[in-house]
Amino acid sequence: MHTLIQSLATEGAAATEGGHAAYAWLLIALPALGAAILLLGGKRTNKFGPALATGLSWASFAVGAVIFVTMLGLGAEERAAHAELWNWIPAGQFQLSAGLLVDQLSMSFVLLITFVGSLIHVYSLGYMEHDPDKRRFFAYLNLFVASMLVLVLADSYLLLFVGWEGVGLASYLLIGFWNHNPAYATAANKAFFVNRVGDLGLSIAIMMMFATFGKVDFASVNAGVDGASTTQLTAIGLLLLVGACGKSAQFPLQSWLGDAMAGPTPVSALIHAATMVTAGVYLVVRSHAIFEGAPNAQLAVAIVGAITLLYGAIVGCAKDDIKKALAASTMSQIGYMMLAAGLGPIGYAFAIFHLLTHGFFKAGMFLGAGSVMHGMNDQVDMRRFGRLSGAMKVTWVTFGLGWLAILGIPPFAGFWSKDKIIESAFAVGGTRGWILGLATLIGAGITAFYMSRLFFMTFHGKEKRWTDGQHPHESPATMTVPMIVLSIGSGLLGMILAFAGFAQWLHPVFGGEEHEEHTNWPLMAITLLVVAAGLLLAYWRYWREEVPKRAPEGNLLTQAARADLYQDAINEGLFMRPGIHLTRALVFTDTKGVDATAGGLAATIGGFSSRLRRLQNGYVRSYALTMLTGVVAVLGVLWVMN
Amino acid sequence: MSNAPGTGEAVLFWILGPLAVLGSLGLIFAKKAVHAALGMALTMIILGIFYIAQDAHFLGVIQVFVYTGAVMMLFLFVLMLVGVDSSDGLLETLKGQRLATAVLVLGLGGLLTAALGSVTYPEPAGVKSINEETGNVSAMAELIFGRYVWVFEVTSALLITAALGAMVLAHRERLGKGRNQRDWSKRRVLRGEYVAGLPAPGVYARHNAVDTPALLPDGTPTPLSVSRVLTARDQVTTPERYVEAEDRIAGQIEEDSSR
Amino acid sequence: MSAAVPAVFEAVKVDYAAIAPMLVVVGGALIGVLVEAVAPRSTRYGAQLVLTLATIAAALVALFVWAVPHKAVTLGQSLAIDGPALFLQATLLVFGLLGVLAMSERFGGKSADAFTPMGASSPGSPQEAAATRAGFATSEVFPLALFSLFGMLIFVAANDLITMFVALEVLSLPLYILTGLARRRRLLSQEASLKYFLLGAFSSAFFLFGAALLYGFSGSSDLKLIARAITTNSSQMNGLLLPGAILVLIGLLFKVGAVPFHSWTPDAYQGAPTPITGFMAAATKAAAFGAILRIAYVGLEVSRWDWRVGVGLIAAATMIVGAVLSVTQTDVKRLLAYSSVAHAGFILVGLLSFDGNGIAGVMFYLVAYGLATLAAFAIVAMIRQGGSEATHLSQWAGLGRKHPVVAGIFGLLLLAFAGIPLTSGFTSKFAVFAPAIHSGGTMGVLLVVIGVLASAVTAYVYFRIIVLMYFTQAPEDDVVALTPSVATTIVVTVGVLATLLLGIVPGLLLQLAQDASTFLL
Repeated sequence: MHTLIQSLATEGAAATEGGHAAYAWLLIALPALGAAILLLGGKRTNKFGPALATGLSWASFAVGAVIFVTMLGLGAEERAAHAELWNWIPAGQFQLSAGLLVDQLSMSFVLLITFVGSLIHVYSLGYMEHDPDKRRFFAYLNLFVASMLVLVLADSYLLLFVGWEGVGLASYLLIGFWNHNPAYATAANKAFFVNRVGDLGLSIAIMMMFATFGKVDFASVNAGVDGASTTQLTAIGLLLLVGACGKSAQFPLQSWLGDAMAGPTPVSALIHAATMVTAGVYLVVRSHAIFEGAPNAQLAVAIVGAITLLYGAIVGCAKDDIKKALAASTMSQIGYMMLAAGLGPIGYAFAIFHLLTHGFFKAGMFLGAGSVMHGMNDQVDMRRFGRLSGAMKVTWVTFGLGWLAILGIPPFAGFWSKDKIIESAFAVGGTRGWILGLATLIGAGITAFYMSRLFFMTFHGKEKRWTDGQHPHESPATMTVPMIVLSIGSGLLGMILAFAGFAQWLHPVFGGEEHEEHTNWPLMAITLLVVAAGLLLAYWRYWREEVPKRAPEGNLLTQAARADLYQDAINEGLFMRPGIHLTRALVFTDTKGVDATAGGLAATIGGFSSRLRRLQNGYVRSYALTMLTGVVAVLGVLWVMN
Repeated sequence: MSNAPGTGEAVLFWILGPLAVLGSLGLIFAKKAVHAALGMALTMIILGIFYIAQDAHFLGVIQVFVYTGAVMMLFLFVLMLVGVDSSDGLLETLKGQRLATAVLVLGLGGLLTAALGSVTYPEPAGVKSINEETGNVSAMAELIFGRYVWVFEVTSALLITAALGAMVLAHRERLGKGRNQRDWSKRRVLRGEYVAGLPAPGVYARHNAVDTPALLPDGTPTPLSVSRVLTARDQVTTPERYVEAEDRIAGQIEEDSSR
Repeated sequence: MSAAVPAVFEAVKVDYAAIAPMLVVVGGALIGVLVEAVAPRSTRYGAQLVLTLATIAAALVALFVWAVPHKAVTLGQSLAIDGPALFLQATLLVFGLLGVLAMSERFGGKSADAFTPMGASSPGSPQEAAATRAGFATSEVFPLALFSLFGMLIFVAANDLITMFVALEVLSLPLYILTGLARRRRLLSQEASLKYFLLGAFSSAFFLFGAALLYGFSGSSDLKLIARAITTNSSQMNGLLLPGAILVLIGLLFKVGAVPFHSWTPDAYQGAPTPITGFMAAATKAAAFGAILRIAYVGLEVSRWDWRVGVGLIAAATMIVGAVLSVTQTDVKRLLAYSSVAHAGFILVGLLSFDGNGIAGVMFYLVAYGLATLAAFAIVAMIRQGGSEATHLSQWAGLGRKHPVVAGIFGLLLLAFAGIPLTSGFTSKFAVFAPAIHSGGTMGVLLVVIGVLASAVTAYVYFRIIVLMYFTQAPEDDVVALTPSVATTIVVTVGVLATLLLGIVPGLLLQLAQDASTFLL
C-alpha cells in the first residue's frame, strides 16, 4: 500500500484506499436500483414509480453531499480516495480491477449530476404528467444518472467506457422516447453513427493504453506517461480527442446535437446541456497527464475547442428553433471548455469551473424553453413567440438570469468562469495565445448577440407574433421550482465558487505548481465591451425593430449559418459522396441495407459488404470455388514466403 | 534388403498409373452417371492392383472387394432407382465459374507439385519385413484392434448415425390404414366408376408391356392403363407404332381379300 | 518405418475413468436408437427427452467424478484427456444440455416445435399435414444430437489425425441430418443441409489430404510423433510438412466458419431449425477450436513460424469479412451467422498468440460466446409472425415496445456480442486480445487492431438492431414473442446470467481455464 501511495504521490494527489470513498458505490447503486425496479416491476410500479425514481435520485445527491462534506473536512492531500469494488480480471498478464475514484474532480461532477439530475426529475414530474408511459421515462432517467455517475467515478478508462456506453444507450432511449415523428429516425441514426465514430476512437485509445502501459487505470496510466514515447502519447491523445468530440459534439463530429433536440425537453436539459455532452471535457481533463506528454495532441484539443466555439456561435445566430439555438450555444460553450482544457495546467480548473456554471444556467434555460413550449402548444419557432414576459413571469425571470449568466455579465455565473477562460487563453502568450484569445473574445461577442436575440425574440419585442388561438400560461410548480433553483445557481454559483477558491480546490488533482491568479483588468473591460456591443446589436435588431414572422432570405452568412454552415453538405461531400460513388461502382446487388444518411464510412462499408455479398450467391459450386481460392491463396502466400 | 521397386513394378506403375488418373478424371467429367461410375471402378481396381504389386495382398483384395464390389454395387443400385438415362443439366450458369475453377485447380496442382517435388524422399519402408515376420494381415489386425481400436469402435457410431439418418430422411411411415383389394373394389362399386377395374396396359397381343398404354375402342390410348410412376418418369411409350403396324396389316388383309 | 510387431497381441490400455463421459454419451445415444425402435410412438418424445437429458447430466457427473482426477493419454495415444480436453468437454456437455432443452421446446404443441413431423415427406404434401395432425415427432433428433455430441467430445481430445478425422465425421454427420429437419421453410432447410454436407465433404477431403501429407512427412499420425518428426527430420522433407499442416488446418477451419471457408455458415444457419443453429454455433465452434488448439499447440507448434502467417491472414479475413458482411444482412439468423464468423476470427487471434494465456482466453471465449449464442437463438425461435419464425429484421421493428423483456434480453446479448464492458463479450475479447498483444509479436498487435476495428463495425450492426427494436415504430402487424416453456426459459436464463456474471466476475472461470491450459503429451 505504501509503495502505491508513493508512486501516486509523484503525480500530485495520492488516493487513499477506502475512507470516504467506501460508500461511493451507493451513489451509483441508488439510481440503478430505481431503474431496475421500474423496468422490471412493470406496470405495478406505474403509480409510485416516478416519485420513487425522483426520491432515489435525491438520495444519491444526499450521499454525494455527505461525501463532499467529509472531504471538505480533510486536508487537501487526503481528499482523493479510492475504493476497490471487485477484482474484475484477476488472472493473466493484464490485471484489471474495477474501482471508484473519489477526488475533487469526480466529486464536482457527482454533485452537478445528482443535483441537476434530481431537479430535472422533479421538473419531469410536471412536464411528463400526462404521458401514459412516464414510468419508463423515469426508469431511463435513473439509468442515465447511474451511467453518468459510473463514467465520472470510474477509476480506470475501462470502467469509464462502461459509463460512456451506458450514457449513450440511456440517451438514445430518452431521445427516442417520442419517436412518433418519422423524420426523427434519420436524426437518431445520425446521432447514433457519429457517436459510434467517437466510441471507436475511445476504444482504440484504451487498447493502445493497454499496449503501451499494460494497464488502464488512471493511476497507472498517469504513472506510466513518463516511460512512454511522445508518438504513442500523441496517438492516444488524438484518439481520446476523437472520443471526446463524438460525445461532446465538437468539430468535426458536431452534427448530431442539433438533431437530437427532437427528444423531450427535460432530456435536452439533462443530457445535452448539463451532463453527457460534457463527458468529453471530463475525459480530456482526466487524461491531463497524457495530453501534457503530447503537446501536439493538446494543441489539437484547443484548436477543436476554438473552431467549435465559433462554429456554434455563428450557427446559433441564425437558428429560429429555440431548442436548436440553445443546442448551438451548448456546442459553443463546450468549445470554450475544450479550449480551456487544451491550454494545459492553467486551463483545467477553469474548464471544469465553466462546465459547472454552464451546467446550471444552460439546464435552466432549457427548462425555461420547455416551459415556453409547454405554454405555447409545443411551438418551437421563436418567430412565433414575442412578449412572453407578461404571460410567463417566472419563466421570464429565471430565463433572464440564465441569459445574464451566459453573457458573462458580472456578477452572474458566466462572468466568473468564461472570463477566466478568455484570460487564460491570452495568458498562454505568443501567437497561439493571441489566436485562441481572440477566438474566445469574438465568441463572447457573438454569444452575447445570439443569446440576446433568443431572449428578446422570445420574451420581448415590438409585438406578439403568436399563432392564433395561443394562450400562453405559466407552468405548474413542479416545473417552475426547479427552474427557480437553477436560476439561483446561474446567478450565484460563479461567485460562490470563485470566492471559495474552486481552482485551488481542484488543484491537487492535476498536480504541478499552483498558478498565481491575477485578474487582467483591461482584458475584462474589453470583454465586457464586446459583450455589450453584441447585446446592443441584438436589442436594436430584435427588440426595437419588428421581427418578421417568416425568416428573411438574409445574406450569405446567415444562410450558411442557418444551414449549420453546410455541415451536412460538407459531410456529404467529404465522406458520403465518395462512399456512395464507391458503392455504386462496386455494388452489384441492392444497397437497401445501407442507410446512406448514416454517413460515408457506413456507405463505404455497406458498399464493400454488398459487393462481398455477391459471392454469397447460394450455389454450392461457387462456395466450393471460394474455398478452393482460399486454399490456393494461403498455400501460395506461404510458398512465396518460405 | 532394398525396398526400391523392381523393374516390373515400375512398368506396371507407369502403365496403370495414367489409367487410374484417367479413370478418376472420367468420374468427374463423364456426362452419364454410368460412365462416371465405371471410371471410378477402373481407378479403384487399379489401386487394388497397386497394393497387390507392393506385397500388400490383403489390402489389395479388400480394396477390390469393398470398392468395386460393395460400393460400386450401391452406386449402380442408386443409378437404377434414379434411371440410367437421367443426367443433370450441364449448362454452367455462373459466369467465369469454369475458368476460375480450371485456373485454381491448376494452381493448387502446381503448388502441391512444386512442394512435393522438392522433397527428397527417404528409403521407402515397404511391407516386406512385416510380411516376413507376422504377415500383413495379422499386422493390420493388431493395429485395428490394438492401437486404433478406439477409432474402429467409434466408426460404428458413424454407421449407426448413417442408418438412423437414412430412416429419418427417407422412410415414410404409413399414416392410417391402407386400403386392401376388398376396399378398393367396394369403393369402385360405390362410386360407380371403373366397376370392372382399370384397363390393363398393352396393345392386343402385339405388345403387352406395362409401359404401353392400352387403346380405347376409338383407337386413342388411355393413360389410366399405365402406372402413374411411369408417367411421371416420362417412360411411357406411345402405342402409335403398334397401331400403325396394325393398320398396315389390316390394309394388307383388305388388299389381299379384295384382290 | 517398420514398427516391430510383437508376436503376441497386446490389447491397448484403456483408462475407462478418463473416457467415462464419452462412453456415457454414446451409451445414451444407442439406448435412444433402441427407444426409437421399440417404444410406442406416443411415448417417444418424452422418453427421448428424459433419456437425453439424463445421459448428458450423467456424463457431466462422470466427467467431474472420474475423468477429472484421471488425466491421461489413453487408448494407445488415441485420446489425450488433459486440461483443455476436459474443460472443453465439460463446456460441450453444458452446451449439449442447453441445446437439447432448446430443441425440446414445443410452444404448447404436441411435438418439438422446430422439427418437421416427418423428414421423409415432401414439403407441403398431404402426408406432411397428416403427420402434423397425428402429432408425429422426429424424436430421432435426440439420439442424433447425442451422437454429434459424442463426436465433439472425441474431437477435442483426439490425439492423432485418424481419430480426429473420424470424430470430425461423427460430429458432422448428425448435424447434416439435423440441419435438414426444420418444420417450416423446409425446402430452404433441405437445401441448407445438402450444402452443408457437400461443402463439409469438400473440406474433409482437404483434411485427409493434409493428414496424408503429414503422415508422409513423419511416418505417423500421432500428433506427438509429428511434433517430434518436425524437430528431428531433415529439412528435405519440409515440402510435405507445410502443405500438410495448412490443409489439415483448413479442414478444421471450415468447421469454425473461417473466411474463405465460411460460405456454408449463413446458408446452413438460416436453413437449420433454430435450436440446431444455436447448438451448431455454440458447440461445433467449441469442438472445432478444441481440435485446432490441439493441432496447433501439440502437433505443429514447432513449425508455427512457417504457417502462422497463413492462419493470421485467414484470421484477419475472417474478422473483416464477418464484420463487414453483417452490415447488409436483413435476416436475423444470417446476421448472427456472420457474427459467428467474425467471432471465429477473434478467437483465432487469441489462438495465434502461442501462449498459455492464449489457450485459456480461447477456451473462455468459447464458453462465453456459446452460452450467449444459445440464448440468442432460443429467443430468435420465439419471435413469430403468423406461426412462422419472424427472422426478417423489419419484423423486429418496435419489438422493444411489445415485448420489453424479450427485446431487452436480446439487446443484452447483442451488447455482449459487441464486446461492451461488463458483459461476457468484453472479458472474452479481452482474454484473447491481451495474450495476442503480449506474446503475439507484430502480427498479434496487427490482428488485434483489425479485431478492434472489426468489432466496432459489428457493434454498429448490433446497436442498429437495438435501435430497431426500441426506436422504430412497430408496423401494424402481428409479430409476437411466444411464451416459452420452462426449457427455453432455462436456456435463456443461463445465457443471460452467464453473460452478466462472466462480464462482471469472470475471475473464477478465467482461472479455471488457465489452470486447464496445459496439454498432456
